[in-house]
Amino acid sequence: MRYKTTLQKICIYSLAVITFIVALFPFWWMMISSLKPSHEIFSKVPTFWPRNVTFEHYTNIFVRANFWGYFKNSLLVAGTVTVIGTGIASLAGYALGRFPLRGKEMILLTVLFVQMFPLVVLIIPLFIIMSQLNLTNSLVGLVITYLTFSLPFCIWMLRSYFSSIPIEIEEAALIDGCTRMQAFRKVIFPLAWPGISATSIFAFITAWNEFVFAVTFIKDDQLRTLPLALQQFFSRFTADYGGLMAASTIATIPVLLFFMFFQKRMTKGLVQGSVKH
Amino acid sequence: MKNRWLPWLLLAPALLLIIGLTIYPLLYTLFLSFQHYDMYSMLSGETKWVGFENYRQTLTDPFFWKVTRNTVLFGLACVMGTMVVGLCVALLLHTKFKGSNILGIAILVPWVFPAVAGGIVWRWMFHDQYGIANFFLVKLGFEKFQGFAWFNSSFTAFFIIFLMIVWQSFPFIAISLLAGFQTIPNSLYEAAEIDGATGWDKLTKITLPMLKPLLLILFILSTIWDFKIFDQIYVMTEGGPARGTYVLALYSWNEAINALNFGMASTIAMLMFVLLIIFITIYVYFMREDEAVKS
Repeated sequence: MRYKTTLQKICIYSLAVITFIVALFPFWWMMISSLKPSHEIFSKVPTFWPRNVTFEHYTNIFVRANFWGYFKNSLLVAGTVTVIGTGIASLAGYALGRFPLRGKEMILLTVLFVQMFPLVVLIIPLFIIMSQLNLTNSLVGLVITYLTFSLPFCIWMLRSYFSSIPIEIEEAALIDGCTRMQAFRKVIFPLAWPGISATSIFAFITAWNEFVFAVTFIKDDQLRTLPLALQQFFSRFTADYGGLMAASTIATIPVLLFFMFFQKRMTKGLVQGSVKH
Repeated sequence: MKNRWLPWLLLAPALLLIIGLTIYPLLYTLFLSFQHYDMYSMLSGETKWVGFENYRQTLTDPFFWKVTRNTVLFGLACVMGTMVVGLCVALLLHTKFKGSNILGIAILVPWVFPAVAGGIVWRWMFHDQYGIANFFLVKLGFEKFQGFAWFNSSFTAFFIIFLMIVWQSFPFIAISLLAGFQTIPNSLYEAAEIDGATGWDKLTKITLPMLKPLLLILFILSTIWDFKIFDQIYVMTEGGPARGTYVLALYSWNEAINALNFGMASTIAMLMFVLLIIFITIYVYFMREDEAVKS
């Protein structure tokens, strides 16, 4: 940008370092604590680098506490929600982004509105309905309820992606003899793929991190998702911080990895979703 | 002909699910708020219409007002904290120093952090005996933080939850604002510089007014998010000590799922919904008003 004085530079860099540390410290502290043996975790003078690295907490939570099972549940639920959510939302987003529809504004407003209101308002009736359908305490029920937040969100994001693809490309494909479905599959879908993948990662992360529905609907130990298992573990073994930190790390690493790989696309998608209305 | 039905065909599954999973439950909550509906009603299907009785009971309950006050104060504090920190970080990133890209990625880590894991980690950092925060505070000379139990009073507990919420939600604000900054034409700043504007002038007279629509959206989004905070409080304090960190979301949830008093819980949820709408209306009103004065 413009010329900066040395003083300004020092200010900027020190602020940057502070922001960096504040943002990442809890993550780093969680990882470090999970690798320390218990006596080092509970020492009066904390160590910022583990003196003796140990994986005992990880073996503990996987062997004794069945975290592998919770991990699989989370993966299953978040994966299914992502596939169903983005699949249905792609169709709807395409319809909304492409066709001049009567009542389109109304539909879009509803989607936006639904995306915004507090989930807690929905929990009570959903709990009653799901109990009557015998879908509480089941992963299927959980997937269905997760669609309440991921579907509107995906539609909203995907609509903007689809409408950003020039319509001429599709027309050209139609003139060249494609049917609408072929045009969608061979031309539009590949072009919209970056948007679809960014949206699905968002959907995956929100489903992976979800807690309210899980704590409301899941009672069986084997059906718990990671966040729920983590919370239960925390309220039962409050003092076992080594195990807790290891379990928290396990719950965090997958979303972070996802995020690291796709961060560019996601940041762009995030910005598009909020800035471009 | 086929084309006319195609879009509706594509929309149908999504619309059906949205109506079934959100619109219908919302109306159902409204309906339940006028009912006496408990576990027995759920099993037998017998319900009793009680009119505004639930509302009367809730609105005359001092505890409800205490929780409402907590929710509003805590929510507003979180919104303000998030917006201020987000704005500062966005301005910092906008100076485009070497490594600002890396910082831009790093700050998004808290944002993808699972709320439950985050809550546990913050609880650990503020542990009374072995927490890193107390260790530093004592090192800095604040002796009274030796073994200080943050979660024994509702005020300090709220304070830690507030810090955690700001930590988790400022990245979204910062990144959105940063993108907003980039839409403002540089010529405006150049013109202002010629007129002798300082950095502060440029921020308050150009950047923020230009970003008013975006700021409005971000204010509304944060308000919606921060008024319905549930996970973090549930994990960190479970509403304690002595229901001291209850907010409306937790109160309503607890009334429904633990006390199985669905009618009452629906009333609380509806009142919370109304509260949110009031706040959003206020924001929209103020932002509009300002514009009218200027033009």
